[in-house]
Amino acid sequence: MASKFWASSAANALKISCSGTKISAFPALSRCFSSVLDGLKYTKSHEWVKHEGSVATVGITDHAQGHLGEVVFVELPEKGVAVTQGKGFGAVESVKATSDINCPISGEVIDVNTKLTETPGLINSSPYEDGWMIKVKPSSPSDLDSLLDSSSYTKHCEEEDAAH
Amino acid sequence: MTVQRTLEVWKLGIVKYLDALKLQEKLLLDRKIGRVSDLVLSLQHPPTYTLGKRKTDHNLLIPESDLKSLGAELHYTERGGDITFHGPRQAILYPIFSLREIGFGARKYVEGLESVMIEVASMHGVKARPGDKGETGVWVGERKIGAIGVRISSGITTHGLAFNIDNDLSWYENIVPCGIEGKGVTSLRREVTGELPSDDVIHDQLIQCLARIFRFSDAQIKHDLPVL
Repeated sequence: MASKFWASSAANALKISCSGTKISAFPALSRCFSSVLDGLKYTKSHEWVKHEGSVATVGITDHAQGHLGEVVFVELPEKGVAVTQGKGFGAVESVKATSDINCPISGEVIDVNTKLTETPGLINSSPYEDGWMIKVKPSSPSDLDSLLDSSSYTKHCEEEDAAH
Repeated sequence: MTVQRTLEVWKLGIVKYLDALKLQEKLLLDRKIGRVSDLVLSLQHPPTYTLGKRKTDHNLLIPESDLKSLGAELHYTERGGDITFHGPRQAILYPIFSLREIGFGARKYVEGLESVMIEVASMHGVKARPGDKGETGVWVGERKIGAIGVRISSGITTHGLAFNIDNDLSWYENIVPCGIEGKGVTSLRREVTGELPSDDVIHDQLIQCLARIFRFSDAQIKHDLPVL
């Protein structure tokens, strides 16, 4: 119904200032906030990357999964495939919409989360942990320098949500 | 200060599926670089079955070769959603929108498309509703009147909605529509007693609702359309 749409608009408007707040600041209200974790780097298109030595793990953020709805299908590349910063490497499907996912860094795919084939909803329930998508051997560590840290990403989410 | 946003409307008539797809691919790139602003393609297709990214062809109930002899095409696409049918007298809108500019995610965009069809149904006295979880689309009771399948690439939308005005529903007997067993399909014609306006009028109603729901200041028809 049209009223449901306007109601959900209003609910999002109320959440504008909450979106992207770090989960540790407001633990009691954490369920209505998009969580942003320290120690990760972020893109403006809502992917995250965790760089640990020669391995970088990539996924999409809590903000992204909330805006997508329930994920029902995930398309991921194969091991050995080259990925490029800013270019698509896979897609997710939710509510009859397929959304491209862009890679935060360039490199080679060394591992793929095969659990997402059977349980794509892990992206919704655990976007930073069990919902990881690919692991990459970075080809250019300086790629990380152009990404957002947690505070900048939080601000970006707030600005995006405030735009409507 | 409100920014004036104009929705550009491309009225294309009946267009073959692949021609419309090629046009959308081009417009996607154009929209990405800002060569075009937000626009919507308004059209109908000749008899065409389409599948989404998940390639759920187990929901096609007859061999592909039979489809050809019936006069229908079959296409695999990158959009979300399951198998569906498009044909004459079914209104199709393909919005090419930059979702980032309006701050919408996939879920909110799709809810907006559902609202467009629900509002137009309501204009004709038909009470429609969005689908339950996992059944995105627009329903009248247990019968589906409107379908949605979308692709979002770098925040730009392609594909869109299909609203049954008075299309031949027997084409749906060759598929499990949208992969949902046990539910029917319907059209505005089936649900309305009395006269319906022309398809053009209904396309315009869909466009006007689209413009309002997605907060455009106005809608303008584009002339000098490319030849497809």
